[in-house]
Amino acid sequence: MADTMGHSATAKRSNMSVALGIFVLALAPQIFEIIWSLGTIVGWGSGRGPAAALIGHASALLAGAPGAVFGSFGGEAKKLSSDVLLALIYSYPLFAVAILTIFMTIKSPQDYIGGVVLMAVALFALWASSDLQGMRGFSFGAGTAPRMFGGLMVALSAGIALTGLLQDGPGLSHYSWRGPLFVMASILFFALAIRPLGLVVSAFASFLIAAAGSHETRWIEAVIVGACLTAGCAILFPYILGLPMPMLPRFLMQ
Amino acid sequence: MDLFANLAHGFVVALSPINLLMCLIGALVGTLVGVLPGIGTIATVAMLLPITFGLPPVGALIMLAGIYYGAQYGGSTTSILVNIPGEATSVVTALDGHQMAKQGRAGPALAIAAIGSFFAGCVATILIAVLGAPLTKLALAFGPAEYFSLMVLGLIFAVVLAKGSVLKAIAMIVLGLLLSMVGSDIETGASRMAFNIPELADGLGFATVAMGVFGFAEIIRNLDHGAELNRDLVQQKITGLMPTKKDLIDSTPAILRGTVLGSILGILPGGGAVIASFAAYTLEKKIAKNPSRFGRGAIEGVAAPESANNAAAQTSFIPLLTLGIPPNAVMALMVGAMTIHGIVPGPQVMQKQPDLVWGMIASMWIGNLMLIIINLPLVGIWVRLLRVPYRLMFPSIVIFCAIGIYSVNNAPVDVILAGVFGLVGYWLIKHDFEPAPLLLGMVLGPLMEENLRRALLISRGDWSVFVTRPLSAVLLAVAAALLVLAVLPTLRAKRDEVFTESEN
Repeated sequence: MADTMGHSATAKRSNMSVALGIFVLALAPQIFEIIWSLGTIVGWGSGRGPAAALIGHASALLAGAPGAVFGSFGGEAKKLSSDVLLALIYSYPLFAVAILTIFMTIKSPQDYIGGVVLMAVALFALWASSDLQGMRGFSFGAGTAPRMFGGLMVALSAGIALTGLLQDGPGLSHYSWRGPLFVMASILFFALAIRPLGLVVSAFASFLIAAAGSHETRWIEAVIVGACLTAGCAILFPYILGLPMPMLPRFLMQ
Repeated sequence: MDLFANLAHGFVVALSPINLLMCLIGALVGTLVGVLPGIGTIATVAMLLPITFGLPPVGALIMLAGIYYGAQYGGSTTSILVNIPGEATSVVTALDGHQMAKQGRAGPALAIAAIGSFFAGCVATILIAVLGAPLTKLALAFGPAEYFSLMVLGLIFAVVLAKGSVLKAIAMIVLGLLLSMVGSDIETGASRMAFNIPELADGLGFATVAMGVFGFAEIIRNLDHGAELNRDLVQQKITGLMPTKKDLIDSTPAILRGTVLGSILGILPGGGAVIASFAAYTLEKKIAKNPSRFGRGAIEGVAAPESANNAAAQTSFIPLLTLGIPPNAVMALMVGAMTIHGIVPGPQVMQKQPDLVWGMIASMWIGNLMLIIINLPLVGIWVRLLRVPYRLMFPSIVIFCAIGIYSVNNAPVDVILAGVFGLVGYWLIKHDFEPAPLLLGMVLGPLMEENLRRALLISRGDWSVFVTRPLSAVLLAVAAALLVLAVLPTLRAKRDEVFTESEN
């Protein structure tokens, strides 16, 4: 008895964390824009400042969207702002899913979470294509096909999430952090360094960063192989294949 | 007689020194990729796409084709000798092939795999040549409605033949369709889902997504298990490649069956080499007098899947060359390669680019001949390559991929996007979603949308056009029937059985 109680308690707790995760997912685009907009303070990028973004989204989520829902009952047909649409199309359905999650027994977290995340992607696509023109008479507008497939995908992902509730299946598999972290860091470094630093420096450095992704790396060996590979690439790509590419750091070239 | 004239023309093209060299490079790279576990055909073809910029189109496609069928040969080597399939297509070969190697019969196993592959390759080459022209004629009768229905059928095939849940496979296809819509609309030029990011205005690069989902994601996943794969290499020297007379007698019917099955599954949209090898092995086991021999070193278990995967790898070019529709992810990348060189895949390619089509067909036969030489006498060299540890291989692959993606458009953003799709691919693998249908959806997306819109425009918005035109109606009916069959419990069980073969 105690055992089953303990089991259901952990199940409830994991349900809460899943629900919390979906809740964060529901706010992810807003959070992303606000973080992104921090860059405008130091003059990076364009778009709204953080304050404007924060206020826009907060008012849309708290007041704008419910207002729009009730407004539409009143027969008002006015153009909704993109923030309000985001809240309506993307965030609110996911809030609902998050709340439902708390009361469900998830039999296969792998399927359930997979389905919900895909649903988020589909809803996001629906929002992203909401400003496009729909059908004009019998000819397709730019937005018709994305909305069609977006709607289909919402239905399919709901089906997948449903199977996660009804059918027993595998739990979440284990994610490791080391491999993804260093491989991604290496890719990111390469992307940022190739223009200013050139192929030689960025390829060699990226090789070493990627090599850190495995705990079995032997550094002397990695440095030698990395140097050889860099030399090989420096000959292969620009000279043999004729693909133009900066070779050395810009400050050395000037 | 036309056929022979065409083939002769093809051989003239394929035997020119530059194309012979390209064919050899393709076969070598393909074998290398096939031998090395941890890097797949799709990632390699995606990686080499930018490299083909500077080459003439015929040479470029000959090389890329060589990689695909070359990998089928190479995959068998590692499966037999090391029990690690270098390619998904050779998973079932490992079951009996490695047992044979353990019994000291690695030589005959390798020889039969190579002979089977060569035979299947020859048959498939002839099949492409024979079927090419009539199918092209059929394709000319296709209007937009038929094209749309055919693509629906192709996608449904991809779902039925994919591993795991049908629902998940359909979801992956639709995700691919959605991803394909990022960027400018073909008709109105409106920017769709691009968020004012200039790099997205042109759409997501297909090679970028492929490299992320198949290249980077695969690397990250391999790192999960630790870089050192368990390699119980068969250490003793391979003695005597020649199979005995009994081996030959046993394996001949298996090779024939494998070739037929592989050729059919290759032509079907959504099929390809992986499913062909699984199906061929299952068939052999089913019809064998003594099924218990399988898994203990039965030579049929090597001969059939190896012939099937090679036949399928080649016949999957048929829909691409005649209809312009890629039946699987590798062929989808070939579409990318063709568009890079300004060739629009479709029925007109056969007439407008006879050099390309017949040169490629002839090169396949030449490539198969090269491969048998590359693989049998040089097997020792390939085995030695396996000693290269993964801890050195994976950073090299990462760098090579990164440089490759960058060079497509000289755009650093593409590299970052590929990285993001690497993470997406990793997540998909963790949630048991198969990425191959996603890629297929992404390639067929623009084609499908265009034909759907055109069909509806011609019919003045009447959706019934898809069922009133006979050809289109038949295609859709087949698609619907397939989908129903796929969810029926009896067939589902059969389908799962085919895929679980490798696990026991």
